[in-house]
Amino acid sequence: MTPREILGRFAAWLRRDELDRQLAEDMRAHVELLARDLAHDGLSRDEAHAAARRQVGNVTRAREESRDAWGFPAIDVVLSDVRYALRGLRRTPGFAATVIVTLALGIGANAAMFGVIDRLMFRPFPYLRDPSAVNRVYLQTTYRGRASTAATFPYRRFLDLSRVSSTVAAVAAESEWRFGVGQGDATRIRKVAGVSASYFGFFDATPVLGRFFVATEDTPPVGATVAVISHELWSTDFGRSDVIGRSLKVGTMQYTIVGVAPPSFRGTAEGGPPDVFVPITTIPNNFGAWAQSSYLADYRWDWTEVLVRRKPGVSATAVGRELTTAYVQSRAAARALNPRVLPDSLVHPLGIAGSVKSAAGPDAGLESRVLLWVAGVALLVLAIACANVANLMLVRVLRRRREITVRLALGVSRRRLAAQLVTEALLLALLGCAAGVVVAQWGGVAIRRLLLPEGSDFNLATDWRTLGVALACAVTAAVATAIGPAILALRTDLAAALKAGVREGTFQRSPTRTVLVVAQGALTVVLLVGAGLFVRSVMSVEAVPLGYDARPVLEVVLDFRGFTMDSVESAAVRRRLLAAARSLPGVSDASRINSHPFSTNTADLHVDGIDSVEALGRFNFQMISPGYFSVMQTRILRGRAITDADRDGAALVAVVSEAMGRALWPGRDPIGQCLHVGLGDHPGATSRRCTMVVGVAENSAQQNLADDPRFMYYLSVEQFAPAMLSSMLLRVAAPDVTSQVETVRRALTREMPGDGFVVVRPLQEVVDDHMRSWRLGATLFVAFGGLALLVALVGQYGAISYQVTQRMHELGVRAALGARASDVVGLVAWQSVRVGAVAVGIGLALASSAARWVQPLLFHQSATDPLTYAIVAAGMLLAALAASALPAARAMRADPCTALRAE
Amino acid sequence: MDTPSPLLAGTLDLLILKTLSVGALHGYAIAQNIQRLSNDALRVEEGSLYPALQRMQVKGWLASETKRSPTGRQARYYRITAAGRKQLVAEEKAFRASVSATTLVLEGIKP
Repeated sequence: MTPREILGRFAAWLRRDELDRQLAEDMRAHVELLARDLAHDGLSRDEAHAAARRQVGNVTRAREESRDAWGFPAIDVVLSDVRYALRGLRRTPGFAATVIVTLALGIGANAAMFGVIDRLMFRPFPYLRDPSAVNRVYLQTTYRGRASTAATFPYRRFLDLSRVSSTVAAVAAESEWRFGVGQGDATRIRKVAGVSASYFGFFDATPVLGRFFVATEDTPPVGATVAVISHELWSTDFGRSDVIGRSLKVGTMQYTIVGVAPPSFRGTAEGGPPDVFVPITTIPNNFGAWAQSSYLADYRWDWTEVLVRRKPGVSATAVGRELTTAYVQSRAAARALNPRVLPDSLVHPLGIAGSVKSAAGPDAGLESRVLLWVAGVALLVLAIACANVANLMLVRVLRRRREITVRLALGVSRRRLAAQLVTEALLLALLGCAAGVVVAQWGGVAIRRLLLPEGSDFNLATDWRTLGVALACAVTAAVATAIGPAILALRTDLAAALKAGVREGTFQRSPTRTVLVVAQGALTVVLLVGAGLFVRSVMSVEAVPLGYDARPVLEVVLDFRGFTMDSVESAAVRRRLLAAARSLPGVSDASRINSHPFSTNTADLHVDGIDSVEALGRFNFQMISPGYFSVMQTRILRGRAITDADRDGAALVAVVSEAMGRALWPGRDPIGQCLHVGLGDHPGATSRRCTMVVGVAENSAQQNLADDPRFMYYLSVEQFAPAMLSSMLLRVAAPDVTSQVETVRRALTREMPGDGFVVVRPLQEVVDDHMRSWRLGATLFVAFGGLALLVALVGQYGAISYQVTQRMHELGVRAALGARASDVVGLVAWQSVRVGAVAVGIGLALASSAARWVQPLLFHQSATDPLTYAIVAAGMLLAALAASALPAARAMRADPCTALRAE
Repeated sequence: MDTPSPLLAGTLDLLILKTLSVGALHGYAIAQNIQRLSNDALRVEEGSLYPALQRMQVKGWLASETKRSPTGRQARYYRITAAGRKQLVAEEKAFRASVSATTLVLEGIKP
């Protein structure tokens, strides 16, 4: 076809009804004209008309023929197939609904999981130029075979890494914080990104107002107080007015707004987008004057993330090699400042240019591994749904065998017939896809809350990537489910089928369908085993003795917002706040702390007689007030706790955890031993003095839940940092801790000097965060396992039910020959249980062969736990039995009379 | 009246175009004209004529409009377009070449 002809055909197709009418009119006119001429030749009127009509012939055939000239016959065929399929589905709404719901669950599960994983791991950040050339820097050390990978480094290390230049075109630093933004009542805690001036060069973003800041505004020792605000903040808080030059308090300092970022610009921030971007060199000011030099000039604080843009044609591996060299040099520089930095030969430093998305980087946590597994699980659910639908379609084709046979006998080509079946499958899959997207959107709300950082967008209607995946799932499902029925239809033996008559043939076992039922059963067993293991794993996580009770505890973080005080005042304010907190109604005790559990704090620690304490493991410290152990309900096993007497000027004291005592002084009494801790206002001075162990506390989980060695020591705030630290823990007597959050926040904010305020949250949230990744696997596996079980049961029920229908005649004959009802029921139930047993066997074998890979995701739980396997096996067999209950009841009613009459 | 012979395959379009090259006609008149000009030797099947007219319209060789005929009845009149004339020249040339070639073969072989 020439383009011109295609156009003509399309135009004709658009007015095909008119053309059809024209043709009919033309031919009618022709008949009349012919009749008139014939009448002229002497025939009677009627004879003339009859002769004319005879001569013109079959008008309908001419119309059919001329239709070929309009438009595109192939499209007309497809449309007619669609109409035919729709009619068929309307006639069997039950079948259509079952298939659509089944596919919707399968497709919805996959769309939701893809949506989450894509957001966490793959989708490039908005505005990021040439995302494939941008990497996040990860630095790895491997000590005694255990690799530890980090993505946040000292700012000084970022400066060292910035010198890589042969493989890298640009380097940028970023650091995310939550600071108070605004003043007075308008103050809100917001996400603030400290970024290097080079950062904006990574993006193709133009400020909608003003400019981004430049290199001269971002230089140590302190950057210029200029800020770029997000489009969102500009819209909500500033009414899109001309804000350039306006002042905005961010954290401790007044900044001048110099620019407004374009809409949905979020830099490379994971989770919610930052509201304010400020020079990274101004960030340390929030932690006091001492931090300004310490955060920028030495290697003590890990707080900076680093991005690199590779030069064209350079591989990430090559960049990694150059980063490793730079890292080694940087460690040498750090060693010059602090000789305790371990030699490279012990820790094998390695630089990695990895994914910008940390969930897809080398430091990806348990959570991303669990997520990938759950995505696999979602695929299994879809596979089970497909097996189920394929089975339903097979049964449907078998039921329609006579119709199909008759159509074949009437001359429909087998290809057309197969095409119609595929059309039907495709239609069902597309409807399932649409319903699936709705399922993913609404069900996904829960998944999103569970998986995505707060503030993430999850709108599937505008998410083309996820919609594309859902569509791909649907098409795959359609093909997978239509193949069987199409082959069956093509193989139909005309003569035999036509002869079969009313009874639609005798009972036939169908190996294909049995295989499908067994397959869904087996996959379901695998998922249920997974669900069981993850649930048992969570139970182990929850059974871990934490060594404290976080439930009635509130965490209070003080934010002084740069209110300047000398150290005496600073210590006095903190003491006053602690006293105020302790005297609040409903608060039974309070303690200042260094930071809450799970944010690890390590210091230079030296013990006489041990070459390297660091080599024994990670020792975590907590600075506390005397109330700490009663707030946390951590028991003192021996010796004493920290008391009011342990203040500045008195002998330095420490309480150590049982595990730490055993590790440092095996077989000896820790009480009376000396620690040398370099920490606090004068680290050099404190490390020279002996901090004497005065008590042993029970082990408490403060580093993480799983493999924390529980090495923990407690120091007195008053001795080490009376004028620093900004966190407190409060023990609340009220049964509902959350109800106290607002009261405590208000009362303590009133006590804060200047623009200062406090942030209060239940400590349990921190603990829950750490259980989250374990709970995640359990929740999702249970959800998807349940889904799979439901789908598989519907499938098994359908299969057994259809078999019973097929066998009604045979069962009737059996009844006539004297079979009792119980025999018939046994026959049907046995059929179901036998299929279930095969599925359980295969499923358990599959599960145990996959155990090796699941093991690392489980907490103190064997992946081949016999109890879990046994429960799943028993449950599956019971379910198979249950699925056969209704069909068996129907089988019992098999009527001998009907059976005999049919002969 | 002799039994009219069927059309030579592929000549229907050519005959229609040629007939319309002198003026617009309705379908019946086209069929009549062809029959008359061939001295009743060629007869156009109505079942082929009308689909052919539509096909040629889709291809852009013909255009049509409803007009009142001299006898006072409504009828669809077909006329040839510029593209149709080009097509006519090409088809006529090809047909003549084919006929003379066929004739050469028929003349060349004497039994």
